[in-house]
Amino acid sequence: MGKGGFYLETKDPIIKFAVVEKILNLARANSLWPMTFGLACCAIEMMSTAMARFDIDRFGAGIFRASPRQSDLMIVSGTVTKKMAPTLVTLYEQMPSPKWVIAMGNCAISGGPFAFEGQYNVVEGVDLLVPVDVYIPGCPPRPEGLLEGLMKLEEKITGTRRFPTVEQKW
Amino acid sequence: MVKKTLEDIKNTLQDVDASEISYAERGYHLAIEAQKGSLVSVVEFFADKGFYLADLCCVDYVEYLELVYLFNNFKELCRAKVTLKVEPDKPVAPTISHIYTMAHWYEREIHEFFGVYFEGHQKLTYLFLHNGIDCYPLRKNRVPVTDDDKKLLDSFKPEEEEDAFFINLGPQHPSTHGVLRVVLKMDGEYILSAEPVLGYLHRMHEKMAENRSYQQFLPNPARMDYPGALLFNLAHVAAVEKLCGIEVPERAQYIRTITCELNRISSHLLWIGAFLGDLGGLTPFLYAFDDRENILDILESATGSRLTYCYFRFGGLYNDIDDNFIDMTKKFIKRMHERLGMYEKLITKNVIFINRVRGIGILEQSEVPKYGCSGPIIRSTGMPFDIRKVEPYAAYDKIDFEIPTGKTGDNMDRYMVRMKEMEISLNIVEKAIEKLPSGPFNAEKVPKKLKPPKGDVYHAVESTRGETGVYIVSDESDKPYRMRWRVPSFSNLMTFPALAQRTLLADAIATMGSFDLVIPEIDR
Amino acid sequence: MNELNNIMSIIGKETVRAIIGLIGVLVLVVINALILTWAERKVAGHMQRRIAAKEVGPFGLIQPIADSLKLLGKELITPANVERSLFYLAPTLIFIPVLVSFVVIPFDSYLQVKDMNVGILVILAFSSLSVLSILIAGWGSNNKYSLIGAIRSVAQNIAYEIPLLLSLLPVIIIAHSLSLKDIVEAQNGLWFVVYQPFAFLIFFIASVAETNRTPFDLPEAESELVAGFHTEYTGMRFALFFLAEYTNIFIVSAIAATFFLGGYQGPILPGIVWFFIKTYFLVFVILWMRWTFPRVRFDQLLNFSWKVLIPTSLVNLIITAGILKL
Repeated sequence: MGKGGFYLETKDPIIKFAVVEKILNLARANSLWPMTFGLACCAIEMMSTAMARFDIDRFGAGIFRASPRQSDLMIVSGTVTKKMAPTLVTLYEQMPSPKWVIAMGNCAISGGPFAFEGQYNVVEGVDLLVPVDVYIPGCPPRPEGLLEGLMKLEEKITGTRRFPTVEQKW
Repeated sequence: MVKKTLEDIKNTLQDVDASEISYAERGYHLAIEAQKGSLVSVVEFFADKGFYLADLCCVDYVEYLELVYLFNNFKELCRAKVTLKVEPDKPVAPTISHIYTMAHWYEREIHEFFGVYFEGHQKLTYLFLHNGIDCYPLRKNRVPVTDDDKKLLDSFKPEEEEDAFFINLGPQHPSTHGVLRVVLKMDGEYILSAEPVLGYLHRMHEKMAENRSYQQFLPNPARMDYPGALLFNLAHVAAVEKLCGIEVPERAQYIRTITCELNRISSHLLWIGAFLGDLGGLTPFLYAFDDRENILDILESATGSRLTYCYFRFGGLYNDIDDNFIDMTKKFIKRMHERLGMYEKLITKNVIFINRVRGIGILEQSEVPKYGCSGPIIRSTGMPFDIRKVEPYAAYDKIDFEIPTGKTGDNMDRYMVRMKEMEISLNIVEKAIEKLPSGPFNAEKVPKKLKPPKGDVYHAVESTRGETGVYIVSDESDKPYRMRWRVPSFSNLMTFPALAQRTLLADAIATMGSFDLVIPEIDR
Repeated sequence: MNELNNIMSIIGKETVRAIIGLIGVLVLVVINALILTWAERKVAGHMQRRIAAKEVGPFGLIQPIADSLKLLGKELITPANVERSLFYLAPTLIFIPVLVSFVVIPFDSYLQVKDMNVGILVILAFSSLSVLSILIAGWGSNNKYSLIGAIRSVAQNIAYEIPLLLSLLPVIIIAHSLSLKDIVEAQNGLWFVVYQPFAFLIFFIASVAETNRTPFDLPEAESELVAGFHTEYTGMRFALFFLAEYTNIFIVSAIAATFFLGGYQGPILPGIVWFFIKTYFLVFVILWMRWTFPRVRFDQLLNFSWKVLIPTSLVNLIITAGILKL
């Protein structure tokens, strides 16, 4: 947990099966089971995303597994404190690879409002602990934000985007 | 009541300095200065009279540390502040944990944040902080952790025992709603003892308050209790208004009432979903969220955010509500009345649900003052105690409403009380909208940079979980010298180890669910 | 052709039939699990005022394939300190009894892998094996939640196997046979649910408990035990538990349809269609129950079996036997 954090070593396999990999990645992107892992305020918005109005299950990411062993996606939804940090790392290591992490909210990205001079209890960014794939800013981000984050993660896995983006006019 | 208590104190207790204080300015009636020798007798006096320990905190004045004990009475309003000065170098104070069970945790908290030792405390270990901490965080000067305390830091380990089966419920567990950890000692499916471990979401709100001005602290309370963000927002704003003597216009008061009650309903809806989720029924969760989204729409139109509102300003509001807001609210009230009927059919009359909650987790009324718990939890024991009635704030004194109470104090009563509270909140909103006066929504002449006069103030509001109090000490600067939050979940959780003893694991989880715990609020 | 006949004569017609049957059963098991995972999501979604799986394929139909491919490609973690042999054995073991049960179920008057004269005994005997694999999984995982889940599962399955059997006995008495085909044929006129409504109810409740579904899902109670006995299992091993659970649901529904709802009997439509209609209707009821009820408590669960279901089914059995004797 030093400066820069630590990363799991990943080795490239000797033989690659391009088509199989592609199909597997497509399957993975469409079946990202998140872990039931609420930390703080953002957890409520994460729940909202799973509920009727936003319904993350439409994209196949609606099966929230309570056990890290059966989940693919860790949504770090809230502030990570120094007391929580070892637990979070353990949970990440308990997940089977391939696995992904979404840092949801400012606290998980950088400590958010709780990163001030003289603070003694907050980890300033969950990327100091585990590798993060997608950052979703906001305090808390809206459910639409989390859905967009999920799209981004899918794009990262498969290389193609599910929906076309709206052209920005400003 | 106040006069009588003061007389009694003067007659029965020696070595104390008691005086009456202006309640309108300070938020408490009596100020009592105790000495180390007389503190226990003072506390015993209050315990005899049926007072409960509302809060216990510490303020570092550099030359000395001041322990502040806040008492209140459930029967009749009488807030008393007892202070005790201790040396800053080697602070030692007598414990009161044998009188008030709740003081166990308060004293542990003060010990780790200020380094005060409590003589006679059974288990003065760390409750909130992580192992790597090297100073007492809330002291004004940096005071390194003493060697004795360093040993305590890593001391929390379940006792080694043969045949003991320990389960760590949390910090990541689907039923703790966040990052609470409870160490359960089990005998098969039965729980022998439960010990909560806190601090997995300690976000230093009290330390932050000392680092920034009153305005800059405005968004923080919402992060403390996110389901009922507006109520915490109001507690902070109203306390500062009391301290500075700012008059809030009538319209703002009514709007505060309306938005707060809407927020209360949304918080209770979230609770129903989570509670039923703990019992294994997942569908009500989605139904409750469906209604909750409607409230969020309404509140979003006024406040601009979905969850962590920062709507109230010193002397008024961020902006006014419009006709659209009122229309939406009226529509929602109509819809919600129907939905409450549906919840009654779907949940309240379900046989499995009734069998799971009736007679489980009974909290006796006589136990309540020992723990100082509040909110729906004590109302379920049959005690009609509600800050909205006892110390009316906003526009609650102008609106007539009743307080729902239970009889036995079991999980079913806690559920019923919250269900009725939602209905009453709807009525309050309806009446407040009818009476809503026109006029300005912000007080004039509120300075950009608030510099309250020297002194302290305590202000309590009835949040969705119970009494939420703010104790502010001002030193005439634009930053609070000390801001202390008295949070309801903290004292409510304290009853859990007692209620969980000798119950089944499933029942203990149901009981914990019925408390409506919000972890950031406990950890602050 | 001659050679094929020769091979047939050497290994026997029955063996060929068994091999073809087993392949058919395996295909059915996989397809059934795929359909049920999709159906569960959809049923749950529509009961909860949402759409559920929608974007992956038309109506989200490719969703279960994506899920299973993903689980296939997942890392298989064997945690330290597990009892390795037991840990590996459990997911395989839970699958065998499930497959055997299919052998004796008559899908149509001509479609049955093997009609045994002790058909129902085979199913009941093998279904008791699944509790053993749950116990092995819980014990081998070396996880406290898993262990509690396994212990709960054993107590629960033992308690509910008795009413399960007792509620089937009246039907066997009426049909004078243990063979499932004979039982279906005996319902040519009226279905047995008309003669035996209580037995049907008891069987249905007990079978929901046997398959560990809400409101009796105590071995994997999410809010209490995280994921119960399969907390430590990853990837395909976990998928096997999943597969076994959905196949079990299908089997208990199929048995209920065979014993009480006339199996493949029905007008106009071919028998196999009737069989699947009846079975999937019962499956739907089980899904419906899951998304409606909260979970019962452990002692309530056992009390319900020992104090209500077993006495009622015993009384029902005695009355049926008495009436038939008269």
